[in-house]
Amino acid sequence: MNITEIISKTNDFLVDEFEAEIDELQPDANLKDTLELDSLDFVDLVVSVETEFGVKLVAEDFVGVETLQQFYNLIEAKLN
Amino acid sequence: MKCALITGGSRGIGRAICIKLAEESDYHIIINYRSNLEAAKETLAQVVALGNTGEILKFDVANFDDVNQSLDTWFDSNKESVIEVIVNNAGITKDGLFMWMPKEDWDAVINISLNGFFNVTNYLMKKMLRNRYGRIINMVSVSGVKGTPGQTNYSAAKGAVIAATKALAQEIGKRKITVNAVAPGFIKSDMTADLDEKELKKLIPINRFGEAEEVANLVSFLASKKASYITGEVININGGIYS
Repeated sequence: MNITEIISKTNDFLVDEFEAEIDELQPDANLKDTLELDSLDFVDLVVSVETEFGVKLVAEDFVGVETLQQFYNLIEAKLN
Repeated sequence: MKCALITGGSRGIGRAICIKLAEESDYHIIINYRSNLEAAKETLAQVVALGNTGEILKFDVANFDDVNQSLDTWFDSNKESVIEVIVNNAGITKDGLFMWMPKEDWDAVINISLNGFFNVTNYLMKKMLRNRYGRIINMVSVSGVKGTPGQTNYSAAKGAVIAATKALAQEIGKRKITVNAVAPGFIKSDMTADLDEKELKKLIPINRFGEAEEVANLVSFLASKKASYITGEVININGGIYS
């Protein structure tokens, strides 16, 4: 799966499950603020990624992940 | 299917909790046991006799891999099911003066009561958070509240679970998951069968040992929606022993 497909698929579930506006989902947008995530909400993100991409994320994976682009990159790295 | 999992549910207080939840809730009752299959079957028979559904599930709460494998297998067969209530009840005593206490007795009690709480609750945590509702009830003891001589290991394990109860309750309260501890005193069960009730009841204002069903009544309440604003509490049920 290439990065364009990852971005598209990720944005789809962020809109569907996290009630994000598609216009807000810019690569340099802050992941936590844009999705209004608190620490417990990350469990939803982890489960969604697992369901959509079949990869498991753990807490350490999010170290250094602040923007949506970094989140897309994380999923890409996990997939490859 | 919404389920309640009771660890150590085959006998004693655990069995009474299974039966009471079967009587007072619609939860499918999952009766965990480690070694006594016959007792677990008897508990299940009583659950079914009340018109509820249930099943028995064998695993050793102290064994991280066993807990994970057993629950993985269970969820593979029950993909749509949610465990909404966890009653961490499994526990043992290995009493003795601390100065003579073998490390095995220390470890055995800590592994079941404290690590058992971690192994089961941690496994189910993400699913419960996703469910945005849950009840976690940790069976502790008056020993964990005030300490009991001859039970340093048991007091330490239960005291640690009490602290974990308070911490976890604060972590996950906003997801409508409550975490409480129930601290029984002297309750008639296999665990207290060797105690001198006639002598010990002099220490109890209500002047008798408690019944397992009386503890189960409290657990059933905490497991219900009626208890939605109670969390992080340790509720003593001991006939008035100062604790």
